[in-house]
Amino acid sequence: MVGLEFHDPSGAIEVRQGHAPRLATLAGKRVGFVSNEQWQAYRMLPRLKALLEADFPDIEVLPIDAFPQGNAVIGSEQTAALVKASGVDAVVIGNAA
Amino acid sequence: MGVTTNAVAGLGLAPEAAMVTFPIEMFLPGSDISALEARKQEFYDGLTRWRPAVASDGAGEVPMVQVQGASVEDALARANHLMLANRWGDGLPLWPPTRERVDWVLTGATQPRWRPLGAFPPRGGVTTVESCAIALAMAGGRPEYLPVLVAAVEAFLDPESGSEQLQAASGSAFPVVIVNGPIGGQIRLNAGFGCLGPDPQRPAGASLGRALRLLQQNLGGALPGVGTMANYGGLRYTNVVFAEDEAQLPTGWAPHGTERHGFAPGTSSVSLAFANGATNIRRRGARKETPEEDALQGMHRMADFMRVPNLASLAGYEHGTPGILMIPGVVAQTMAGLGWTKASMREFFWEHSRIPAAALRRAGGPAWIEIDTSKVARESLALDPWPITASPDNFVIVVAGGGHPTNSYWLQGYSPGVVGRAIELPPSLERLLAEAERDLGPR
Repeated sequence: MVGLEFHDPSGAIEVRQGHAPRLATLAGKRVGFVSNEQWQAYRMLPRLKALLEADFPDIEVLPIDAFPQGNAVIGSEQTAALVKASGVDAVVIGNAA
Repeated sequence: MGVTTNAVAGLGLAPEAAMVTFPIEMFLPGSDISALEARKQEFYDGLTRWRPAVASDGAGEVPMVQVQGASVEDALARANHLMLANRWGDGLPLWPPTRERVDWVLTGATQPRWRPLGAFPPRGGVTTVESCAIALAMAGGRPEYLPVLVAAVEAFLDPESGSEQLQAASGSAFPVVIVNGPIGGQIRLNAGFGCLGPDPQRPAGASLGRALRLLQQNLGGALPGVGTMANYGGLRYTNVVFAEDEAQLPTGWAPHGTERHGFAPGTSSVSLAFANGATNIRRRGARKETPEEDALQGMHRMADFMRVPNLASLAGYEHGTPGILMIPGVVAQTMAGLGWTKASMREFFWEHSRIPAAALRRAGGPAWIEIDTSKVARESLALDPWPITASPDNFVIVVAGGGHPTNSYWLQGYSPGVVGRAIELPPSLERLLAEAERDLGPR
């Protein structure tokens, strides 16, 4: 038998932080949206907002345009800071396709 | 989904995320979005019950891969099958990056093998000099190519290149690497006939470009339909890597690396931009044109081709390039003899590639320009005709191609920036070139 040993070309990925912990419930929570205004987000995200409000008592869902919208800005540090400063408990980001 | 997991991995998170996915049809104009309500619980679970599968305590060293075969040929075949099954390849045969092979390629290194170059976007694969040597070994490359690849990767990883976005974007962009300085000819990189390949006489461009493509995929996660949404892929397995034909530059015409990046003439350097189209433009006349008519008609033919409202140039409207025009040395010499300079050619292209506002509106151009990230681009909508780029200086003109004037070549730009890097040459270069002469014959 002939053995061949070679390097894995996919390299390593450094995991430096964990994902945000999930909420126990959405009731009574504050939820925001970050929209890139693409791929029918202008129709889908308001629909999701309405569903959240209907299904969870005391939930506060911020307007879809509470934070900067558009591909150019949603990934920026400024937008992240605004989201953090708003005190939301959770964020839904959309849409990607 | 792969685009999102790559993106979160690139941010230092585990390569996974709470997502709800739907068929593409739902994201199209006028679509039926009722599935949103039918699957609303998945959204709720993503905010409450989802748990990551990967622990967040860092990455260790990647182990070597082993295969066994009944013979050398069998082992080689199994290695290739494994690489394809693991999505490490591009569908063509690969040279398994054995320790011996990679160590040989690393004899062309100027830095320690573990020197980090950055995290390859968007997946965030840790990129080192060794990573480059592994990719180059797989692509059939030689050690004297390694300094060029390292410089190209450094340019690629520079945020100004726009690579983080373009690796995953839909526009089917591919990197173009223009090499200046003596290194091009020394390592058998093509600047003349067939400079875009394939060319067995000057094979460096193929290996370099293919190695970069393998890094884009294996470290960066740019797998078609998974990690990149490029509708049509990257066009070429070998990207585009060629040398400017500096020997044919007319007096007074500076090398591209000098013009765009300020490198002193004679400096070995790379310049990296992104393109998403490649077109041959018939440049010369067919009858009894005077030299002036021949030149001007050719310029109009090229400018008219650029004057299209497909908005590729919007990607780098302010600081990038609408494209790279390649002209053979004999054309450059003729144009210079008629008084043209690279600057006057750029001015001509800028002026004559402007798109009438009515044509732009008919093609829906304003909608995209209005939401562009660049204020300069957004404000350009006031101009009629609309210039395809903010400044004539953004056009890249490079002297390269076979030695007759029939055609020029336009690499349509999709490039937020044009990034340059000087190439650091190893002290062993002369020895490596002598070995290449031994292996490949005289240059």
